[in-house]
Amino acid sequence: MSLPLNIDLQQVFLHMFNFVILTGGMYFLLYKPVKDFMDKRKAYYAGLEQESREKMTQANLLKEEYEGKMAQADREISQRRADAAKEMELSRERSLAQAKKQAQDILDEARSRGEQEKEKIISKARGEIADLAAEAAEKILYSSASEAFDGFLDSAEGSVNHE
Amino acid sequence: MHNQQTIIREDNSMSKKRKLISALLFIGLALVCIVGAFLTGPPGGEKESIKEAMKDAVLHEENKVMFGPLEVNPAFLSAVTITVVILTILLIIRIFVIPGFRYIPGKFQMLLELWVGWADDLAKKNSPHRNGFLGAYVFAAGSYVFISTMFELFGVQWVTTSGMSISLPAPITDINAAIAMGVMSYGVIMSGGIAGNGIKGVFLTLKDFSLPISMSFRLFGALLSGLLVTDLVYHYIHLSFVLPVAVGLMFTVLHAIVQTYVLTMLTALFYGEVSEKVQKKSKEKKAGKTRKVKTA
Repeated sequence: MSLPLNIDLQQVFLHMFNFVILTGGMYFLLYKPVKDFMDKRKAYYAGLEQESREKMTQANLLKEEYEGKMAQADREISQRRADAAKEMELSRERSLAQAKKQAQDILDEARSRGEQEKEKIISKARGEIADLAAEAAEKILYSSASEAFDGFLDSAEGSVNHE
Repeated sequence: MHNQQTIIREDNSMSKKRKLISALLFIGLALVCIVGAFLTGPPGGEKESIKEAMKDAVLHEENKVMFGPLEVNPAFLSAVTITVVILTILLIIRIFVIPGFRYIPGKFQMLLELWVGWADDLAKKNSPHRNGFLGAYVFAAGSYVFISTMFELFGVQWVTTSGMSISLPAPITDINAAIAMGVMSYGVIMSGGIAGNGIKGVFLTLKDFSLPISMSFRLFGALLSGLLVTDLVYHYIHLSFVLPVAVGLMFTVLHAIVQTYVLTMLTALFYGEVSEKVQKKSKEKKAGKTRKVKTA
């Protein structure tokens, strides 16, 4: 059977046979090994990526955990700070009260001492005044007696002269 | 400073001299060639007329070559030569290059990966659901069309059964090779249809029954036109200066690239289309459509 354009079925099949062999050869010699290698490398890098992603997730978890701990620590610190401040306030108030009490005691003691001292001074002053008064009276008495004696003596001396 | 200027001037004068000598040599060589071409007589022996050459390029009636006991068209011998050369090179690559592949590739490894990756990507993009076999086919078909078209440039000489010396053509300039490629591509598409949709896939593929014919004749027409133009140019001595470079580039390299792209792209596209699972339309949707049509 003659086909147009001199198409020869035998040669068509020969070309097909040639191409099938070429396809098979190219597949086994180049396509499959290169593709396998590329897939292997892709899997390797995907594994690395997965690993790094897992590590990143782990790191993020750790970070979150540490952040939580830090927040907890911050809370504890602020709580303790507040407690300490409260404690300090109480202590200050206690100290102030104690100091006030001490001051009051000192003041009371000073007052009582002052009172005692005052009384002592007053009693002493009274004694001294009494002494002074006695002395003054004595002086007064003495001066009047000596004046009288002097007068006597003067008058005695005058009478002798007249004689 | 003065010395430097002197050196630069001397360099310029040297390069000018060199350019002049090169230009004179080039012109001299061209003149010798053209004078030689006109002075020497026509080559002895039997010579084919342009009409016969053109006719034979299309119909392959005269020039046959022996392939074992078979008398075949020269294109088949080209096809076998190309297959042998490709497989030999690939065997060497398989034995000596591929075992030394590294995760960070060298230049040659990168080239091979680019070559394989191109076919794999084409298959995956056009047929995402089923592409293992398609990738291998597209790789082989694309490589074959490209390398076999470029083979024409080597001008491998052979003697025909009638004693004429011919330059082996690109295989696909032969209608038989083009039909083989078209039919095989169609067969691959149909296999994808069967693998994806069973017997329904055959009907899906048969819907595009003109595909093997269009594929075959597109390849044949494109490459034959290139062959005819190059034959025409090479046939006349007056056209054999400078022009063959442009013609070779236009009708061989560009055809090789374009036809490789077209064949592989069409095969991958149709394969992807017929191998995709056909979704059964629900009754509700059908009813909705009918209602819409009635309303319209």
